[in-house]
Amino acid sequence: MIPANARLFRIFCVPLVPGMPLSVKHLLGIRDLTRQDIDLIFQTADNFKEILKRPIKKVPTLRDTTIVNVFFENSTRTRISFELAERRLSADVINFTASASSVRKGETLIDTVNNILAMKVDMVVMRHSAVGAPHFLAGHIQAAIVNAGDGINEHPTQALLDAFSIRERLGKVEGKKVAIIGDIMHSRVALSGIYCLQKMGAEVMVAGPPTLIPKYIGEAFGIRVSYDLREALAWCDVANILRIQLERQNMPVFSSLREYSQAYGVTRAILESLGKEIVIMHPGPINRGVELNSDVADSGNSIILQQVENGVAIRMAVLYLLAGQREEPAD
Amino acid sequence: MQILIRQAHLIDPQGPFHGSSNDILVTDGIIEGIGNFPGIKADRVIEEEGICVSPGWMDVFAHFCDPGTEYKEDLESGQAAAAHGGFTAVMILPDTRPPLQSKAEIEYIRGKAAGGIVDIYPIGALSMGLEGNLLAEMYDMRKSGAIAFSNGLNPIQSSGILLKALQYVKAFDGVIIQVPEDRSVSRHGLMNEGVVSTRIGMPGKPAIAEELMIRRDLEITRYAGSRIHFTGVSTAGAVALIRQAKSEGIRVTASVTPYHLCLTDESLSGYDTRLKVNPPLRTGADVDALRAGLLDGTIDCMASHHIPQDADAKEVEFEFAREGMIGLETCFSLMHESLDRMDLEDQVSLLCQNPRKIFGLEPLHIREQEMANLTIFNPGRSWTFQKEDIRSRSSNTPFIGKSLKGKIIGVMNQGKSSLH
Repeated sequence: MIPANARLFRIFCVPLVPGMPLSVKHLLGIRDLTRQDIDLIFQTADNFKEILKRPIKKVPTLRDTTIVNVFFENSTRTRISFELAERRLSADVINFTASASSVRKGETLIDTVNNILAMKVDMVVMRHSAVGAPHFLAGHIQAAIVNAGDGINEHPTQALLDAFSIRERLGKVEGKKVAIIGDIMHSRVALSGIYCLQKMGAEVMVAGPPTLIPKYIGEAFGIRVSYDLREALAWCDVANILRIQLERQNMPVFSSLREYSQAYGVTRAILESLGKEIVIMHPGPINRGVELNSDVADSGNSIILQQVENGVAIRMAVLYLLAGQREEPAD
Repeated sequence: MQILIRQAHLIDPQGPFHGSSNDILVTDGIIEGIGNFPGIKADRVIEEEGICVSPGWMDVFAHFCDPGTEYKEDLESGQAAAAHGGFTAVMILPDTRPPLQSKAEIEYIRGKAAGGIVDIYPIGALSMGLEGNLLAEMYDMRKSGAIAFSNGLNPIQSSGILLKALQYVKAFDGVIIQVPEDRSVSRHGLMNEGVVSTRIGMPGKPAIAEELMIRRDLEITRYAGSRIHFTGVSTAGAVALIRQAKSEGIRVTASVTPYHLCLTDESLSGYDTRLKVNPPLRTGADVDALRAGLLDGTIDCMASHHIPQDADAKEVEFEFAREGMIGLETCFSLMHESLDRMDLEDQVSLLCQNPRKIFGLEPLHIREQEMANLTIFNPGRSWTFQKEDIRSRSSNTPFIGKSLKGKIIGVMNQGKSSLH
């Protein structure tokens, strides 16, 4: 029996770092990854990014792999990015969204996913509103799971593509100062981002209104916390501006969007007053004129569209590496 | 039926045989003799190195789910689980369907449980439907045998209703039981708020949700001149508030669960739904404060917070999982392991004399020619808790497979015995 990794390598030569598999079977969160895992994902993504620049962007790597995208929460960008990554790897793709499903009829998560797996699916990409849902599922099914966002917990591929984009723009992540700004409390991008950036050796600050910053976050991660947008921007090399998640706020946390944008909206005028250049990121979709003004989002400081582009390469790398972790059935 | 317990160490403070080692001979449920009976051939002889006997234990907060969700627990399985855990008396929650909110439900419980090996003392609902709006017929329920009143797992949020309830029960020197939680602060939380919840991305219930409620309830109790019992106290701040209130003469008592004495929020990093409880598991510092609170008498007794859940209620995403774990069968062992600095005699008081005193029951003693209401146990024996050992209808506990110290040998009560 040939190890899956080697077999995939032979079928289509994506150059790999030899003999170094991921330390995990699922991508549930950045919390579980090692620095080596992240480096491996980045190196693999570098190769895929190279392929994506070729005239023929599709590779046969996951030709006999079936992947289901299970989205219990609405998502357009993440789902499309995963789907594109899967199709570029030649996987068979099924999309399953909760609004059109039996979940509303009271079926449990295990039942829903097992029903899909009964149709011989190899990998599950899942977004779910409940924290820990993919971890729970990992204890009950055989297929490899990629967490595409669980509640307010983690969104690991977003953090990876963010760090990958910083590395691309600034040459490295290590030693860079990254401010994550906005709704830290309800954002899964923030938590995964903190884990990923710290593992890569960056310095992290979170900034935003006190009602949207978890009380213990400074203590939990040893990071800086600021309630002052200007202070955060003056400190950082990279500002990752988060979307204000109106749909996840079940308590009043600020008075109005107008007030939020006055206190925490990033504008050209503020950036120009800093006397230095910083990189602007945003996980999308942008609320223009709320957390980010158009004159910043569309400027040369912004790498927002590069993030989207890198998302496909990162997700290809993750799917490819996890597929290689799966045990091949004996012939 | 004659049962002989050989060379037992009797733990019965203020009782005539306290501190002695004796044989106890029980004939047809009556203690026939306490002394040395070398020649007796009883039907059943219990003999074991390190065996202890005390008056039967009482739990003050267990959910038997009957009527309504008997597939999780019913009175019979609940009594079996209690006996298995060394209890001969249990106060049960009003959170049934329908709630124990009138004479009819209280009499159903009293009638159905009568004569069982475990005495059942129903806690009456404080408000109709446990909705926290209208006072239930507490006077009538009291006459029918309700031992105390509580809104169960949905603590009273309105200060006005709590004040009226505390004043109302003064007519019969009743006690109101609250699980202290200000829901307006904790509503969206799934575990203790702190470093751990932040690291694992879980919405938290801050300690102040509990402490605010205790502070408020203490003021209302002081004003009403009534009696309140907090159960499931879980934070260091809560212990400090109760300690202070006692020193000021407020009529407050408190109980703690066995799992809050030995588990912390650190254990939740794998999102194990068996550990989803309310009040939530707190930090190591809180665990230390709870133990200290028991040692200095701030916390008066144990409360199993035995809350059965079927597999479907727990084998779901953490957010959707129901709260609670079963606790009667492991209560003593967990408490015993957590309180190695406390005398065994004082440990037994937490399970026996103290709860009876708080809720107005006659003290129990081991005396000849009286009904045997006894708990037989071996504090030194280690054992492994197995799923097959569970008498509860549910098995939602994280302690299966764990090695525990302090084993229940059995109980006797109402002419019946349950011996392992």
